[in-house]
Amino acid sequence: MKVELLSHTPSKELLNALPTSEVPEREFMGHLGFTFAIEGISRACSHQLVRHRVASYSQQSQRYIQVKRLQERVVTPPSVVEKDGEEFNEFIRGASEAYQRLIESGVPKEDARFVLPNAAQTSLLMTMDGGSLMHFFGLRLCERAQWEVRVMADEMLKQVRGVEPELFDNAGPYCVQLGKCPEGRFSCGKIREMKKKYSGP
Amino acid sequence: MNLRLLASTPAVETLIATAMLTTTSGAAPSTLFHRLSGEPAKVVDVVGHLEVQHGSILEHNRLSWLLEAEEGEVLKVLLKNRFFSFTRLGSRSWLLSANLRTVVEYQAEGDEFGRMLLESIREVAPSVNANRRPVA
Repeated sequence: MKVELLSHTPSKELLNALPTSEVPEREFMGHLGFTFAIEGISRACSHQLVRHRVASYSQQSQRYIQVKRLQERVVTPPSVVEKDGEEFNEFIRGASEAYQRLIESGVPKEDARFVLPNAAQTSLLMTMDGGSLMHFFGLRLCERAQWEVRVMADEMLKQVRGVEPELFDNAGPYCVQLGKCPEGRFSCGKIREMKKKYSGP
Repeated sequence: MNLRLLASTPAVETLIATAMLTTTSGAAPSTLFHRLSGEPAKVVDVVGHLEVQHGSILEHNRLSWLLEAEEGEVLKVLLKNRFFSFTRLGSRSWLLSANLRTVVEYQAEGDEFGRMLLESIREVAPSVNANRRPVA
């Protein structure tokens, strides 16, 4: 997986151009844009990503891009490697062969892709405003979030903190942002560790 | 009504070209972006083919303006397009932001505000400004 912040609205440039500095921070965040290149994540991960609707996505299309060497372009969850990597690899081999056979027999890419697994890698461009990004961090940095999207969110947070440390000082999972866990009985109970992990620079 | 662009995400048109090529080429978006950053003529060429692409590729940016307008004028804008974000700064003063897709879609209204929006992007998105392509 690779995450790169390609472009963002410099907050100081906007603040300095405003006739007043009295803009509520939460509202101000909504006027800032952040664009990331996200590469080599699974389709399972990108499905979760696009559930964040106040954002824009441009994803590699399986209708237009033929998948080559699927076995080399899958994301294998650590639990699978640990428990039964061979079963997983065998399935990927089978899916790859079926896909190639369908393509060779003249099935269009947009239909042949139906046999591709959620493990298939994808890359995309994603743009979010600062407020939506804080919400994204609140949900996807939580211990309950899926491991892959959490790794991705972690990297995104590092990068936005690199360019806008003050704006994202309070960023982290919702327990860090709110000071209490909103997950109710599903709470991991690790609020102290999370606060330590995500406390600003 | 008065409109002034205050800030924008840098490299607006390079990002549009990156988004266009990301969907249809196997290259990684970061590779495309860095390659295109050194090829301004290629960016103009790719963005020139905008009409065959989905409008969402215009969304990878954020533009922020200072707007001087009456409440009624702001309401009119919002009723025509709900994708603008407004923050009130004073009785006739507003911080306004949107992405380029919203700008392009709104300017098709052909009213005074649409003309001001289009004029305001002349420097940050010159090809889009010149082409004013319809959004699919």
